[in-house]
Amino acid sequence: MVNLLGFEIRIRRGAIIGWGLGLAGFAFIYLPFYPSVQDQFSGISFEDIALYQALGNFSMATFEGYFASTVLQFFAVIFAIYAVVNGTATLAGEEEAGTLELLAAMPLQRWQIVIAKALAMIVSGVFILAIAGLFVMAAVAYVASQVETGITPIDALPAVWNSLPITICFMMISLFLGAFLPNRRVAATVGTIIVIGSYFGNNLSGLIESLEPLKPFLPFNYYNASAEIFTEGIPWGDALTLLAAAAVFLLLAVLAFQRRNLTVGAWPWTRNTAK
Amino acid sequence: MSPPIIQTDQLTVYYGNQRGVVDLDLSVNQGEVYGFLGPNGAGKTTTQRVLLDILRPTKGSASMFGLDCQKDGVAIRTRVGYLPGELSLYPNMTARGFLDMAASVSGGDVDQDYRRSLIDRLQLDPNRRMREYSRGNKQKVGVVAAFMRRPDLLILDEPTSGLDPLVQAAVLELVREAKTEGRTVFFSSHIISEVQAVCDRVGIIREGRLVATESVETLIRQQFRRLRLTFPDSPPAFELDGVTETARDDRTVILEIRENFHPVLEKAVSAGVADLETIPVSLEEVFRAYYGGGGGNHG
Repeated sequence: MVNLLGFEIRIRRGAIIGWGLGLAGFAFIYLPFYPSVQDQFSGISFEDIALYQALGNFSMATFEGYFASTVLQFFAVIFAIYAVVNGTATLAGEEEAGTLELLAAMPLQRWQIVIAKALAMIVSGVFILAIAGLFVMAAVAYVASQVETGITPIDALPAVWNSLPITICFMMISLFLGAFLPNRRVAATVGTIIVIGSYFGNNLSGLIESLEPLKPFLPFNYYNASAEIFTEGIPWGDALTLLAAAAVFLLLAVLAFQRRNLTVGAWPWTRNTAK
Repeated sequence: MSPPIIQTDQLTVYYGNQRGVVDLDLSVNQGEVYGFLGPNGAGKTTTQRVLLDILRPTKGSASMFGLDCQKDGVAIRTRVGYLPGELSLYPNMTARGFLDMAASVSGGDVDQDYRRSLIDRLQLDPNRRMREYSRGNKQKVGVVAAFMRRPDLLILDEPTSGLDPLVQAAVLELVREAKTEGRTVFFSSHIISEVQAVCDRVGIIREGRLVATESVETLIRQQFRRLRLTFPDSPPAFELDGVTETARDDRTVILEIRENFHPVLEKAVSAGVADLETIPVSLEEVFRAYYGGGGGNHG
């Protein structure tokens, strides 16, 4: 299984570099411009705008607030899209491409295939964040040299790494969808709906009281995209909740993959012809 | 006699309402090259995928080396080299990288000299990325991957597909060598000439059911005999059950005889037959005879 894990990481090299630089580019679009836009935001009282407050403790009066409102707010969403793309490509995509048949014909247990791929996805996420984190630190160092701010490049790291647990959660949800649903297109569609629904559902639940009971089931409820992250660090309780949910979906993915017929793109009730 | 290397018992696979294979009783002996013959959609690929636990049976069972294909899949697959009919490879990998991965994941030792010899014999450049390969070159990668560990059993699905005639001959030679070394080959194909060239026994699958399993010679002999009869005058009519007249001219008639062989001879003698000649029947003709009623509809 270790050999398979190494292989799975190697075939993700392109995605790691591409998404790492993409996330870094996203941070670079916003962060270095703070010194030139800070005056424009200083007069706006975001606390009085309900929609902004629904997004969290939204403020752009400080660099921390600007960082959280522009980068952190969308960092996890973009990263979650990677999770859906990669998660559904991993079993469903490979099944459609035909490469899964070769792996399944090798002397591996099916659970080993799923676990190796899940670990490779997590490792790819770590590398992507490592690349993005370096660029974010460089951007923060630049801003800190231009304006007065309470955060250092090191302070930016927990904010960046805080998006890993929610990404892992979406990776495992997507892996499960790929193992359960008939093809990658359906799995990716459902996965994307879950990401978007979770993001907007969580934000709107701050405005619409009737949505409040849904909050505990929305992954974004456990992702802190506010400036508090710079002072309070990673909320480990939320992170562990997301990782526990990820473990549940990984288990479901293993069970779905363990039982089913491979190379048969069909709904589960027609392709699970096991005795 | 040692137990069969491959055995299926009433093996049935349905995809929802669609038929894969039905009540398949298959038995492949140690050291033989078993040809699994059928058109596209007859159930060849389904059978192989069940053997490798890629698909699960709806009913019945499958075993290899005396082990259950589902419960003991890992132990079985350690001893099997597999070439799928629809070979898909990782487009960004080189052939060498893929072969290294396949060797390391499979866990067995690979004789590097043997692997190199396979690469040379199939004229494969292993340093290019898969996406740069033609279909034939991808097929060569699959052949090397299947053979390189010298597995006890080779399951080959259309192994010469996409290859040029020279490389096709090289692959068939590799199959013969595997047999010489005492290894077993499950050779699935719809190309009858190559099945006839390398296989000891042939199983013909039609619409998911095994309709015949015999040695190539027996299969040909059992199906029908073809005679050319020459008479001094116009040949008589042979209107007998199991006898088909396929050609006729002023003095000769060609008959395909499935039954009533003796009445045919008696009638020929009484009509003063001047010459009698047996025309060889090919496996292809036998195959067509089995498929007179049409083919299958699912992989």
